[in-house]
Amino acid sequence: MSAGQSWRRIKRDYGPYLPLSPYLFVVLFPFYWMVITAFKRDNDLYNLTTAPFWFKEPPTLSHLKLLLYDTLFLKWLQNSMVIGVLVVFVTLALALPAAYALARMKFPGAQPLSTAMFLSYLIPPTLLFLPLSQLVRGLGFTDSIWALVLVYPSFTLPFCTWLLMGFVRTVPKEIEESAQIDGCTRFQAFRMIIIPVIIPGIITAGIFAFTLTYQEYIYALTFISASANKTISYGVTSDLIRGDVFYWGSLMSGALIGAIPVAVIYAFSLDHFIHGLTAGALK
Amino acid sequence: MANGREFVDGAAVQTAPVVIQGSWSQREAVQSFLWIAPAFLYLAFFIAYPFFMSMYLSVSNARVGSPEHHFVGLINYQRLFADPVFWQTVRNSFVFTFGSEAIRLIIGLPLAFALNRAFKGKRVVQGIILIPFVIPIALSSLAWKWMFDSLYSVINWMLMRAHLIEYPWQWLGEPGLAMWSVIIMNVWRGFPFSAVILLAALTAVPQEIIEAAKIDGAGPLRRFHYVVVPIIRPILFVGLLYSIVFSFTDFSSVWLLTQGGPYNTTHVFGTYAYNIGINAGDIGMGAAITLFIFPFLAAIVIVMLRFLRKE
Repeated sequence: MSAGQSWRRIKRDYGPYLPLSPYLFVVLFPFYWMVITAFKRDNDLYNLTTAPFWFKEPPTLSHLKLLLYDTLFLKWLQNSMVIGVLVVFVTLALALPAAYALARMKFPGAQPLSTAMFLSYLIPPTLLFLPLSQLVRGLGFTDSIWALVLVYPSFTLPFCTWLLMGFVRTVPKEIEESAQIDGCTRFQAFRMIIIPVIIPGIITAGIFAFTLTYQEYIYALTFISASANKTISYGVTSDLIRGDVFYWGSLMSGALIGAIPVAVIYAFSLDHFIHGLTAGALK
Repeated sequence: MANGREFVDGAAVQTAPVVIQGSWSQREAVQSFLWIAPAFLYLAFFIAYPFFMSMYLSVSNARVGSPEHHFVGLINYQRLFADPVFWQTVRNSFVFTFGSEAIRLIIGLPLAFALNRAFKGKRVVQGIILIPFVIPIALSSLAWKWMFDSLYSVINWMLMRAHLIEYPWQWLGEPGLAMWSVIIMNVWRGFPFSAVILLAALTAVPQEIIEAAKIDGAGPLRRFHYVVVPIIRPILFVGLLYSIVFSFTDFSSVWLLTQGGPYNTTHVFGTYAYNIGINAGDIGMGAAITLFIFPFLAAIVIVMLRFLRKE
């Protein structure tokens, strides 16, 4: 009887975690492996006679030093951050008025334009990178981070507009009507009533714009060639592979440090993030 | 709130609301154009225009670095149809997409069920599970490339110690196995998304209905099939279509792991188009390859719109 009771207790206390543990292992192991690799000495790294899961020789900072002093890693990080922040501003500046108008104003073509916005979200970079490479060259942005600032809103804008439309719709119309009666113009009502109310939506959209931009790879690979103009995703995956030699330790430290900005933003905005993910897909 | 409402009603009585209502909506058509113009002009220039441009490029002899090109008819398409690698790419794209999608659902569903209840630390667990989806794939793919290394693969080390394999597998070097490796990484990256969508769908199922079915004597499988599935189907369906579109048009995960090799066995539309369009410099033919994504996308979009209209 007591055995049955304690089993029930175990099931009650740990039941939810048991089915989750294999998932947590699969999710986390690659990151654990990155950390170990980033600080292992080369001898240790390429010695598989005993279990590779811990240090057999003292950890080293040499991979990190190579990354920081022999590559333009910090420059790539800076490029990615600058591009990310600029794209967030451009995206919001274009998306906010469009989202408001599509959600609230009555005009001929509002419905087809909403659909067009939704469809443009489904046109992938894979379909556009070749013509866009011609286009940015034609505009004079050959091998420049400005080419990326210019092009990245093409995937952040549809998503963020769609997301913001959902938030605008949640604002009760009565509030706006009362402002209208007080003599506010559309723009004043938008600025003083809608914007403050949908701040959570604006934050969510900003987070997504930044994360999507920070993750982008194919446009950076296609438009950029000089090392000083690379973004983090492109720089780390190209400059630490020299011929056939992979600098594994430095590659892993670069990947880890490069992931920190998105990881931090994500940790502080998990709820916004999950909301945006489901809303973006389901609305 | 109550005060504001009263004020509105009071004002409405005194100041003839019709006129004021008119003052906002009269200029609406003109004004709304100003509100939406920046966004749609941008999209016209950076999505619509390049899309039509790629149609033109696909019937031209455009090359990287040469400013002049002219119309050449359907030559690029004829060359593609005669190219066995292209047909292999088409096949690979479907295997990659639907293989990844099926496995994501199979492992995402139990996860969604496990998360669909209250327990201590649920937020933290949910946060950890989503990490692969948030970290840039270019960066996490490096970890996989290292774990799939031909000499120092930690996966091989584990499998050999567990006596599951007898000799080290060439995860990225062997045709067939390389496709599995690419799918494994894509599943690792994407199953958190599937699980979150599934979880959102499951939370939408009212607990009372489940309880009622329980009282009526329905077992877990019957409850799932007859009660849960019909309710979550719409969300599931749309989430799945999104996920399919992103897998089908994926470039970075395949490119960073295998670059389409070995022997083109992992080339998908994106990687083959990059190889031909940028590496070989044949933009015309590259554009023709990417355009084959379009009928597939269009089919998905039509299904999606029709479905959303029905719901």
